[in-house]
Order: sequence, then C-alpha cells, then structure tokens
Amino acid sequence: MKKTKINSIPGCVWVFGDYREYFQNRITLQLIAKGRDLAKTLNTGITVVLLGEQIHQYAMEYVAHGADTVMVADHPNLKEYEVETYTTVLAKWVKAYQPEIFLAGATSFGREFFPRLAKRLRTGLSADCVDLEVDPETSLLVQTTPSFGGELLAEVITPDRRPQMATVHPGVFRELPHNSEAAGRIIYPEVDVFPEPRLKVTRSRPQNKGKVSLEDASVVIAGGMGLGSKKQFELLNELAGLLEGEVGATRPAILSGWADEDRLLGQTGKSVKAKLVISIGTSGALQYTTGIQGAETVIAINRDPNAPIFRIADLGLVADGKTVLPLLIETLRKRI
Amino acid sequence: MVESINIVVFIKQVPDVPSIRIDEQRMTIIREGVESIINPLDCVALQAALELRKGQGGNITAITMGPPQSEEVLREALAAGADQGILLTDSVFAGADTLATSHVLARAVSKLKPFPDLLLCGMQSIDSDTGHVGPQLAEELDLPQVCGVNEIHIDGKNLVLKRLSDGFVDTVRVSLPALLTVNKDLCPIRDLSLGEIEVAFSQREIIRWTFSDLNLKRDEVGLRGSATHVRKLRSPATRTGGRIVTGSPQSIVDTLIQKLESMSILDEEDKN
Amino acid sequence: MVKYRESKISAHHNYLVNEMPTPGFVVGNPDKQEGFYFLGDIVLPEESTPRISCRLLAEGSGNLLLEMNWNRIQSNPEGCIHQSIPGGFQVVHSSGDILLEVRTQAFANGYLTRIKARFYDENGDLRMETRGDSIRVYDAEKPVLDSPFSSLA
Repeated sequence: MKKTKINSIPGCVWVFGDYREYFQNRITLQLIAKGRDLAKTLNTGITVVLLGEQIHQYAMEYVAHGADTVMVADHPNLKEYEVETYTTVLAKWVKAYQPEIFLAGATSFGREFFPRLAKRLRTGLSADCVDLEVDPETSLLVQTTPSFGGELLAEVITPDRRPQMATVHPGVFRELPHNSEAAGRIIYPEVDVFPEPRLKVTRSRPQNKGKVSLEDASVVIAGGMGLGSKKQFELLNELAGLLEGEVGATRPAILSGWADEDRLLGQTGKSVKAKLVISIGTSGALQYTTGIQGAETVIAINRDPNAPIFRIADLGLVADGKTVLPLLIETLRKRI
Repeated sequence: MVESINIVVFIKQVPDVPSIRIDEQRMTIIREGVESIINPLDCVALQAALELRKGQGGNITAITMGPPQSEEVLREALAAGADQGILLTDSVFAGADTLATSHVLARAVSKLKPFPDLLLCGMQSIDSDTGHVGPQLAEELDLPQVCGVNEIHIDGKNLVLKRLSDGFVDTVRVSLPALLTVNKDLCPIRDLSLGEIEVAFSQREIIRWTFSDLNLKRDEVGLRGSATHVRKLRSPATRTGGRIVTGSPQSIVDTLIQKLESMSILDEEDKN
Repeated sequence: MVKYRESKISAHHNYLVNEMPTPGFVVGNPDKQEGFYFLGDIVLPEESTPRISCRLLAEGSGNLLLEMNWNRIQSNPEGCIHQSIPGGFQVVHSSGDILLEVRTQAFANGYLTRIKARFYDENGDLRMETRGDSIRVYDAEKPVLDSPFSSLA
C-alpha cells in the first residue's frame, strides 16, 4: 500500500468541529470516529479544527471522543457561525498545514460554507456522503454520495487536488464513547484580522418545538400506511416508550398527518444507524428504506409476504400491523 | 424610491428523476423515455425573480450551461417572462463538476453589463443533489451568499431575507449585489405559466456563448477542470432479506419478543 | 508556516495557563528549600478538584508568605485565611488582599480551573500574574506536566 507523506503538524485528517447544539448534534463526534479509522490507514493522526469563543469545553470533549489534536481559534469575532469569516480563517490554515482530508458534517451550515472553502482552495468536495473509505491501492479517499435523489450511489474521488473534502450525512458513522483519560495536543495558530461580515444574521426561534434525535436513537420504531389510522400510528409511541426508542415514519404517513416532518425516515429525511429498527405497516419503497438500511437489525411487520421490505429485513413477520401492534404492547406490559 | 433590479437566474436542465430507471447491469441511468425538465428549485428561483421584477421593474436574464438541447429550458424561462436567455454550450464543458461549472458560469456573469444586482439559484438540483454551485459562484464572484432562502423583502439596495438553517429560522440582512439559493417554501413549485411563449419564440433571442467567447483556459473547464471524478455508480441496496415467519398474531408477537430478548433489548423473562 | 502556540489538553481537567488549557503545570522548583514554586498538579479522572501546592514569597523581602500542600495550608507566618468561594477557594492575606483565587468551572464531562494571583520568586522576579481569563507564567521549566507530579503523602 502506498503510504502518504506524514505531516508532523498536525494530523492529516481534519474534521470541522461544529459544536452547536453539542449534546444533541453528534455529527462531529461521528466524524472523529470515522476520521480515526481513515487516519490509521494513512498512518497519520486526526485533528479537529474549532473556531469560536470560550470553547475550551468542546476542545476537551473532542479529545475525549478521539481527537489527537485540536486546532483552535478562540476569538469574539468567531462566536457566530459565519460563512465568509470561517472560509477565510480555514483557507489560511489549510494552505499552511496541507491536510490530506477535510471532513465536515452535512448540516445546513456545513453544506453552505464547505463548498465556498473548497472553491477558494480549488479542490474537490462531495456532498452528504454516506460512506468514506481509503482505497488500499491508491490511498485515495473514496467518497460515496447519493445521486439522482438516492436512486444511485456515486463513488467519487479527488485524484489530484488537496485536501480531499467531503460533507457527511449525520447518523452514518458511530461515535466513540467518552474517555476521561484521554489527552491530546491543542494548537492555537495565529489568526489575522477578520473580514467584516457582509451579512447581518438574527437567529430566532427553533423551527420545531422539540428536537427529535432519531439519528442518535438505538431503537427506532417506524410506521407506515399499513397501520391504517392516526390512532393506530400513535400506538407506536407506546411501543417506543416500552423499548426506549424513537418513532419514525414514512412520507405517506406524514403526508396523512399522522406524524411531524421531523420523524421522516428516508432519502429526503433522516437516515438511522440504530441497533434495531422495527418497521410496521411499511411496504418498503426505496425512498424509505434508504433511511433504515444502515441499521444493524431490521425487523419488519407487513401483511403482504411479497412486500419489498422483506428483502431488507433480517426478520420478516407476515402479519397485519393493526392487529399485532396492540397485542405486542399488551404482551410487553404484562412482563413488567 | 424603488430601484429597478437586474437579476440573473441560473437554471439547469435535469432528467425527470422520479421517473428514472436504473440499468443494473451497466450501473447507469436509462435515459430513453425520461423527460427533461427545469430543475424544480430553479423554477422557484425564476418565479421569485418574476415577482421581484413586478414590484421593482428591471431585467431578468436566465443562464444555463449544458448541451445544445438545454436551450429548451431557456425557451421556457423566456416564455415565463425572462428578458433574455444565455446558453453556455461547448463540448469541452462536458463532464464538469461544480468547481468547473461554477467557473464557466462566473465567467459568463462577468461579461454582463451592467453587473447584475441579484443572482438566484435553486438550493440544489434533483440529479446531482450537491447544492455547491451557488456558494462556489458566490466565492468566485466575491459576493455574499445566503442559502436556503424562503422569504425575500427588498428595500432599495438592501435585502431582508428569511431562511431555514439547521432547525432555526434566520433573518438575514445583506446589501446587493448578492447571491441567494432558494428553497421550495419561497414560492410554491408549480408549472411556469408560459403566457409569453409567442414573444419568447419570435422576439427574444437566446445568446449562445462557447468556450472561445468566455476567456477560459482549457484546463479549467469540463472534465479537465474538475477536481472530483465519479469512478463508479452503484445501487444502494446492500442488505438481503433474512428469515420470514408466518403464524397467528400471538405467535408472531412471541417470535418478536424472543428476538428482542436475544438482542438484549429485553431482559429474559424471569420465569419464577 | 503560520505561527502557533501549543499545549497538551486533558479530556477531564485543565488549568487555564498562558491562555491555553493544560492538564498540569509547575513554576519554580518545589525541591529547592525556601524557593518559590507553584504547582497545579494533574487531576485524576475520579477527582473533581484541582491540586494546588505552592511556596509563596513576599514581594521585596522574599520572606515566606505561605506554604500549601494539596490545597491545604502548611505554613502560614502572616496569618492568611483560607476561604471557600463558589467553585473553589481563595487565600486572603491578613492585610485584606486576596493572595490567590482558584475557581473551577464544571462542564458536563470535565472541568476547567482558573487561577488569579501575582507571585514573585526569591530573586524578586515576577513569575505568575493574572491576564484576563487565565494565569500567565514566566520562566516555567515544565509549564505542561505529562504525569502527576506528586501523590498525597
């Protein structure tokens, strides 16, 4: 395997530290975990770049979750996530330290500022990746991204330009557990004057009432039209409660008003990498199954033995969800 | 005083993705029988431009980069009310990623006199889904960018925008010139009203610019100017189905509970 | 190359020294009899309070002001008072001046200790002083510790 040049300062695999909503938004931690694997195959280390103000806590958290090095700019002008300011600071660091790979979460902000940074650096960027691997022969980062609405996956490479940049779909990779005994390196590169922001942004109320963390759930109970009615669908909440899981839904169920948009699973919604997905009354359309196929185990309940969902379920139960769901809940309650 | 406004809308001809089928053998898209349409979010951008022009007066230019048949989407834009259409077409533009595409588009914009006040794009296209061209255009043209806009208010040279970002609604103030990418909530996605179709075909010209019209370098466009390459397409489904069980509802429930116990999601029942 | 400063950082507890987090630091030489030193020792994962040991000398005269071992006063010729404050403790001189302030901020999974002080060594040189949020240390041999300096005797 061809070994890439090892840069001594800092590790060659960089991850952008998006620490907003830190305890709910785990994407940076997921990228650190995956970044560690990538760095290992490239015989190098992983660095998280962190811009903000009074961010010591996050630097410590990133080290606890696997970062070898944290590269920090701590300044009042960096407190707000600002596209042009962040592009300017990071472009300078990238030019100075020349990382091989630079990853960011495919949050709205990531998807807005990373392309601008890639353009400034004249390098390649793939969007919303669902897989990343180092090709053992070429040492190139193979970036797998959905295209044509997820109908096909494209394997993208950036052969000549550096860094190889990618934004990554939340929930695809699993974070490492918190390790209090970890220690790392923290670097404060000099930062110049910042450009005056050309946008004035006022952030206001959250769009959703409560944050639904489907991507972090270990157990997901998902429902579709086979449940027949909103009342039946709502039983999923009871089941989720009994199994300590979160509820997800197919688009038709959401369009029928049985659940909120933030519960949507699938191509245009969330992808989960849960330990278990129980999918009830869902036929298994591709637009939906792309959201659950990353789970460790899928159990499907559908009354049609030919339903496509059974092609991806580890355990398929041919039964009417409307009958089985209440019975399941009743049986579970008796056990407690 | 209401100032008239020069708007450029970037539109892309894309296959009608929901009706696409995959050739599983060769891992490509089967194009026969699939219609070509204007990328839906670009329609939204165009409709927004038309609304703004209604209020302010001004000029709308639609620009597209693509093979010669992309002219169709410019015709539609003209029929909907755009004042002029510019087709950037050349065989050397083919195979471009967003880096190369944004470069060609930026060069075209730089040729416009006067420089436009407002540049609008759809937030992403339904075929490549990246959403990169807008920000990369803004970077090359050194313009402020606001992505995911769902409300536009204009006051002279100042915009007050609303946009959705990471679960929050932001109010953004920016001065023109600026580049915005729009999301579906800005205007309802509906078919463009092609009321001006006669005028579009008879009077309004489509300007065609090729490689030599745009002061470009060969290694900055098309495949050669691209930083990323798609080395392979593959099908997403990687799971295979497992055991299938039938039976009475209670036996189904028992099977399920057994499975949950084996996964340690439920504790084994204490039989005492 | 861009100029940079660097330190080590612990996942569990850090002191804010020279505007950077550090797991532990020592200024001066603890083994030198009657010499100035200040030690913020590494805090183990099961602990949640910083470990401060020091020998402080009066500015000018160089006489012993205070000796502390693991947050507890050992020698106190000038009658200083050790007081608890929110998040930590302070040592107040009999004149009323606050000699030393140690405050620890608790995060969900870790701690950050800020120190306020102004200390001179036996040569009359300034060795530690508060700057903004953190403590600046001068001529420190081991500004960053790799492992715990001492264990509780």
